[in-house]
Amino acid sequence: MDVVAVEGLGKTYPGGTEALKDVTFQIAKGEIFCLLGRNGAGKTTLLRILATQLKPSAGRATVLGQDVERGAKAIRGRIAVVPQEARPNMMLSAWDHIRLMCLIRGMPRAAALARARKVMEELELWEHRNKLTADLSGGLRQRVILAMALVADAEILFLDEPTIGLDPLGRRKVWAMVRKLARDGVTILLTTHYLDEAEKLADRLAIIDKGRLAFLGTVQGAIAKAGMGTRVVVEPVAANGNGREVLSAKTDAEILAVVERALREGHKVTLKPTSLEEAFIQVVGGSIDEETS
Amino acid sequence: MKRPREVFYIGLFDSLPILRDPMLMIVISLFSFLPVLFAYIFAPQPQLAMQTIVGAIVLSLGFIGLFIAQSVYFYKYWHRFQDMFVASPVSPLSYAMGLAFSTLLGAAPATVVAFILLYLQVPYSVLALLQVLAVTVLFWLSMVFIGYTIGAVTKNTRRANSLPQVLGIVLGFLPPVYYTLDTLPPFLQPIALLIPSTNAAQLAKYYFGLISISTFEIVFGWVYLIAFVIGMGLVAVRRAHWVDP
Repeated sequence: MDVVAVEGLGKTYPGGTEALKDVTFQIAKGEIFCLLGRNGAGKTTLLRILATQLKPSAGRATVLGQDVERGAKAIRGRIAVVPQEARPNMMLSAWDHIRLMCLIRGMPRAAALARARKVMEELELWEHRNKLTADLSGGLRQRVILAMALVADAEILFLDEPTIGLDPLGRRKVWAMVRKLARDGVTILLTTHYLDEAEKLADRLAIIDKGRLAFLGTVQGAIAKAGMGTRVVVEPVAANGNGREVLSAKTDAEILAVVERALREGHKVTLKPTSLEEAFIQVVGGSIDEETS
Repeated sequence: MKRPREVFYIGLFDSLPILRDPMLMIVISLFSFLPVLFAYIFAPQPQLAMQTIVGAIVLSLGFIGLFIAQSVYFYKYWHRFQDMFVASPVSPLSYAMGLAFSTLLGAAPATVVAFILLYLQVPYSVLALLQVLAVTVLFWLSMVFIGYTIGAVTKNTRRANSLPQVLGIVLGFLPPVYYTLDTLPPFLQPIALLIPSTNAAQLAKYYFGLISISTFEIVFGWVYLIAFVIGMGLVAVRRAHWVDP
């Protein structure tokens, strides 16, 4: 069952900037759907329209079966958002933010306190509960913002770059939480600039380029679409990078031929399958020449 | 009970920092009471000093109403809490009312002290107190609407901080709020009456028995204040968006 359906969606801001053009896709219940794109590609615009924060100017979008404009009220109680670059209030503690968010969303007092504690424990914030956020590290502050959304117990979570500022362990903790939420049937729409994050999390992804949908499918689909095959790096054993040769092989036979030749000549061979990052760069029309040369 | 609960918790969320660190309350109180201090020292008649206390009541509430601009701006553009509240069951009216009521906390000490001081000097009736409260609440509400509009439309942190202060001075100290209307040259008096704080102060001084004004001035004052509140309310509703266009 699709919980998000977007059809021919467009957005032109009052100043005339066209941020989205004719975007169409669906997201199924319990799916982790990643939106990728360069800065200013239109990811946040799309997320904000779906989270009922921004009016679309063309096309149609429904969330949980309700139109994002006409049925916004019905949608809002069932979703939660982590906005991009959100910052906690430095004069409030982590506990204040999360407990009050539960109460503001209408939870009964006892349930609000229990829910706030549970989410804080899951995000390892409980031991920091009484510290002002001014005294927390950047990563802990970001976790406070995440917790403010997670306490909502929403059916759909909109996460706009949720792991920005987190250390590698913190990011993995959030990934585990996102996966668990998806297993429990929560649908996740996530934007990120971390391609490894999308690679690890996304059931499906959309690449937005200059407001248009440039790719829609799975991670493997994106890599296959890039059509770059496997890169074979051949270099003399003690060359310190000199004489390095990067070959692109699209079939197993090609790879085998390159490897045999390199081994005969006593060279070191490294196989590098195409990553999502390389596929992304290919899709949005960038270049990876600098890295490979 | 759902909406009042939302208003209460949004108000609490916004006012907790002030409750934890009451410096803002002290600043507002000192700011509105400085002219009172000067008037007590330099005013030739005690009646004039009384008028400055009424001015302190009007300005404390008006000034703090304008300061909603900071909450609105920071919640929308800095903390991005507004986006979180939009994507929740919270109604825009609860949000606006919660932020508005939390401003009252900042003005509470100055206002209470002023009312007590005034009562000790010129005992007033409960009716007079209610009439003055009604006038000051109307003025506060108009300032809340102006502040809300400033906070919602400005995308500049410095402007969101400085505009309420500038407006507070323009509306509070320049017009006859702390001093009497007839201190102004006759040609400036009608112009001063086009400023809402003048009308609020004139009515408050009248209900406390400090000045006498004509029935026309009373009616004009009320009509002007109500019209100003409605006008500013319409501007705020038009310019402050819950869902961005």
